[in-house]
Amino acid sequence: MSDHIDGPRQVGDPAADLSDLFAFISPENHSRTVLAACVFPSAGTSAMFSNAVEYAIAVRWVTVAGLGDGAKFQPGEEEIRFSCRFDNLKRATAGTSPVQSGTCTLPDGRTLPIVVNDEKGTSTPDGVFRIFAGLRSDPFYLAWLDPPTRKGPNLLLHDNVLSIVIEFDTRRVLDPDKGTLFGAIAETVPLKPNVIGQKPPRIDWVGRPEQTNMRLGNTAAGPLDLRDLWNQETPFAISADLKPVFHQRLTASLKNWDMRDGVADWTPAALAANVNVFLDDFLLFDVAKPTTDTSHLEIEKSTINGRAYQTGGGRTVNANVIDILVTWMVNRDREFIQGGATAATKPGTNAFPYLASPNTELQMVADSVDLAATPDAVWALIGGFDPAWHPLVAKVTMTGSGVGQLRTIETIDGKQIIERLDQSDTSSRFYRYTSLSGIPASNYTGALGVKPKGDGSVVEWRSQFLADNQPDIVVKAIVSALLKTGLASLKQRFGAAK
Amino acid sequence: MTVVQEIDSAITPTTDGEIAIINLESARRRSWTRFFADPARDGIAETVVEHEQLTLQFVGDVSALDRVALLATQVAQAGMASARAALIQAQVASMAHRFADARHHLSQAEIGGAPAADVDRLRLNIDQACGNDLDGVLEARRGMANRTQDLGDLVALGSLLADLRDFTAADRTYKEALRSYLDVSPFPIAQVCFQLGMLWGELALEPDPALAACWYRQAIAVLPMYTKARVHLAEICYAEGNFSEAEALLRQVLAIGDPEVDWRLADVLMADGRFEESASRMKVAHSGFESLLERHLLAFADHGAEFYAGSGNDLRKALQLARVNASNRPTLRALEQAHDIAISANDAASAFEVESEVTCR
Repeated sequence: MSDHIDGPRQVGDPAADLSDLFAFISPENHSRTVLAACVFPSAGTSAMFSNAVEYAIAVRWVTVAGLGDGAKFQPGEEEIRFSCRFDNLKRATAGTSPVQSGTCTLPDGRTLPIVVNDEKGTSTPDGVFRIFAGLRSDPFYLAWLDPPTRKGPNLLLHDNVLSIVIEFDTRRVLDPDKGTLFGAIAETVPLKPNVIGQKPPRIDWVGRPEQTNMRLGNTAAGPLDLRDLWNQETPFAISADLKPVFHQRLTASLKNWDMRDGVADWTPAALAANVNVFLDDFLLFDVAKPTTDTSHLEIEKSTINGRAYQTGGGRTVNANVIDILVTWMVNRDREFIQGGATAATKPGTNAFPYLASPNTELQMVADSVDLAATPDAVWALIGGFDPAWHPLVAKVTMTGSGVGQLRTIETIDGKQIIERLDQSDTSSRFYRYTSLSGIPASNYTGALGVKPKGDGSVVEWRSQFLADNQPDIVVKAIVSALLKTGLASLKQRFGAAK
Repeated sequence: MTVVQEIDSAITPTTDGEIAIINLESARRRSWTRFFADPARDGIAETVVEHEQLTLQFVGDVSALDRVALLATQVAQAGMASARAALIQAQVASMAHRFADARHHLSQAEIGGAPAADVDRLRLNIDQACGNDLDGVLEARRGMANRTQDLGDLVALGSLLADLRDFTAADRTYKEALRSYLDVSPFPIAQVCFQLGMLWGELALEPDPALAACWYRQAIAVLPMYTKARVHLAEICYAEGNFSEAEALLRQVLAIGDPEVDWRLADVLMADGRFEESASRMKVAHSGFESLLERHLLAFADHGAEFYAGSGNDLRKALQLARVNASNRPTLRALEQAHDIAISANDAASAFEVESEVTCR
C-alpha cells in the first residue's frame, strides 16, 4: 500500500509514518514545481504532526548513467532540502480547538512559518516558495485484493492523511541549467539524540511508491520482514553491507511479480536492470518535460527499454501509480492491468495545495433496547428484512430474495426509502444493509441484530453515513428518530427486560 | 547521579503527550469507521483492538472494554476466517481478564490455523497474568528479550521479574527497555516509567515512595493524560498529606469515567475536611464500580476488592471480589489480597482456604 504502515516502527507513531511522495510541475503555473509528502495513513479529522520529528523532502540532481540492461541513474552529492518541524499545540483560550504551528527551513537557509491546516499556505515575501501543511483526502488509491487477479474496492476510500505541500519557482530553486533530471525522497527522522547521544535512525523514508510493501515486503520473496531495516537506511546511500540483502530480496520479489499472470515477460537481464533501478529508490522527475497523470515511471521504463525518456516522469496527485507499477512488474507493459477503482476518494485539484480537502468523518448512530422476550421471538418479528413492524412504515414492497434483496419503504409522512440487504445471518440473528436512497446521506449502511441477555434479549441497531447536503446534526436527528421509534415499539410489544 | 538525573538521562525525547493522545483518538475513531464499513477486511478489526487497548491502558477510558465487546460480537458475524475471528476474540477476552474464555478462543484459533507466533505470544501473556508455569514463562520471556531487545519484550520480562520479586533485575530490565527505545511515540516510555513507579511504590518489599513518585511524575510528564499514573501519584501525595497536589492530579482526569479517580478524590476531599464534596464523589465512585463490575467483573475484581475493603466500606463484598479475582488468576499478589481482606473481615475460614491455595502453589 504505497508506503502506508510499512513496518512495525511506523505503527508506533502514525504521524511519522510516510505514506506517499509526489513530484510534478504545477498545473496552474508551469514555471513552478510541486513536491508533496503525506504521513499518518487513515488519519482522523483531528490528527496533528509530531513535534519530535523532522519531516524532510530532499532532491538531488540525477544523471542517466546507463541504458537498457545497464540502466542506471546516478544521483549527485549536492542536496536541495526542505525540512519541516512542528510545535506543541496551542489554544487561544481554554476549551477551544488546538492549533499547531511549525516552520520549514528552505534550501536557501530561510525559514517559513507554517500554520497547520491553513489552506492558503504561507509564501516567502519574494513568492519563490509556498508551503501548506495539514489534513487532506488521501490521494492514493489501491483497489486490489490480490494483484493482478483479484480486484477489489479502493482500500483507502474516505481516508485522510496529513500532508506537506511545497511549491516553488523551478528556475530559482532547482537551477535546471545544471541538469533537469532529479531524484526526490521524503523522510521522517527523530529530532533529538537518544540517551547515549546518538541520533536515532530515521523512522521512515519514501522514494517511489511501494518499495517497502509490495517489493521488499512481498512475502512470496522471503519470510523475513526487511521493511524496518530498509527504512533506517540513508536515502541516496544504501549501505554496502546491506545492499546485497535488499538486492536479493528485490530480485526474488520482481521474479515473483513477473510470474503472477503465469507468463514470463522479463528476461533475466532486463529483470536485473529493473532490480538495480528500483534499488536506487528515489522518485525521478524531469522539470524540462511535462509531468502528467500517466507519466509516472516513464523515465525508468524508457531507460530500461533502451530509449531516451519522453516525459517528466514524477508523480502527479491523480496518477494511478499502483496499476502503472503492477502492469510494469507483471507484464512489462504488454497489457494495462486495471484494478477495481480508477480514482481516489476525491481527485486532486489544479490549484494549490493540489490535494483535495479532507473527507468528513462518517457519522454513526447506535441504539439498543433490552426486551423481556427471547431472542428467537424477537427475531421472528424483525429478522426478515421486511420492516413492516416499524411504526413509521406505511407500506413496504420487497423485491428479490436473499442477499441483494431490496425493500422499498413508504413512510407514514409520504417519503420513500430504498434499502438493500448486504448480509444476513439467521443463526446469529443479524443482518446488514445499505440505504440506496431516501435519506439525505451517502455511504449509509446499517446493521440490526438480536442477542440473548439475561432471561430476555437485547436488540442492537446501528447506522453510519455521510450527511449529504445537510448538516451532520440534522441527518443524525433523522436517523436517530428512526432507530429510537423502532426500538421503542419493540419495547411496547415485547415488554422491557426486568 | 541523582534519581532525577538518572530519569532524565534515560528518557528519549518523544512526541508531545497531548498530540499523541489526540492522534490516538483520531486514529481510533477512524479505525472504527473502517471496521463498520467492512468488518472482515484484513487487519481492520485488529487495528481497532490495538487502538482500544492503548485507550484503556493510557487514557483509562474503561468504556473501551464495552466497545471491544461489541467488536467481538461483530467479528463473529462478519464472516471472516474462523481462526482470525477466534484470535481477535481471545485478545478481547484477555483484555477484559476473562482468561478462561481467552484460552478457549485461543485453542480455537490454533486449531483453525492462526499464526503460531500470535497464538504463542498471547498464550504467554495469559500464563503470565494468571501466574501459570512462571518458570516456563520466564525462560520464554528471557529468550524473546535477548533476541529482539525490543521495548515491549523487555517490559514484559521486567514485569514478570517483579512478579517473581526479583526487584533489582526488574529495575535493570525496565531501564534497559528505556535505553533501547529509538522511536518517538510516548506511550512505551510512559508505560516503562509507570512500571518503575509501581515497582518501587507498590511491589517492592520495602517501598520507596519518593522514588516511585519520581517515576510516576515522569510518566505524566511524557503523557499528561495517563490516568493510572495520576491515580498512583495522587495516592502517594495523599499519604504524604499533600492534598492539593493529589486533588489537582485527579481532577484533570475526572471526566474519563474511571471510578477509581472518583474514589481517590473522595478520600482526598475527606482528609481535607470537605465532607459534602467527598460524600457526593464517593457516591459516584460506588455507582461507577457497581456498573463496571456488572459489565466486566473479572477486569475490575481486584480494583473493586480494594475499593470495598477501603472507603467502599463493604468487607464482605471485598472478600467476594478478591476471591473471584484470585480464582481467575491465582497469582501470589491476588492471593495475598484475598488473604489480607479475609483477615480484615475476620473470616478465618476464608483466610485458611486462601493460605492452603498459596501453599499448594
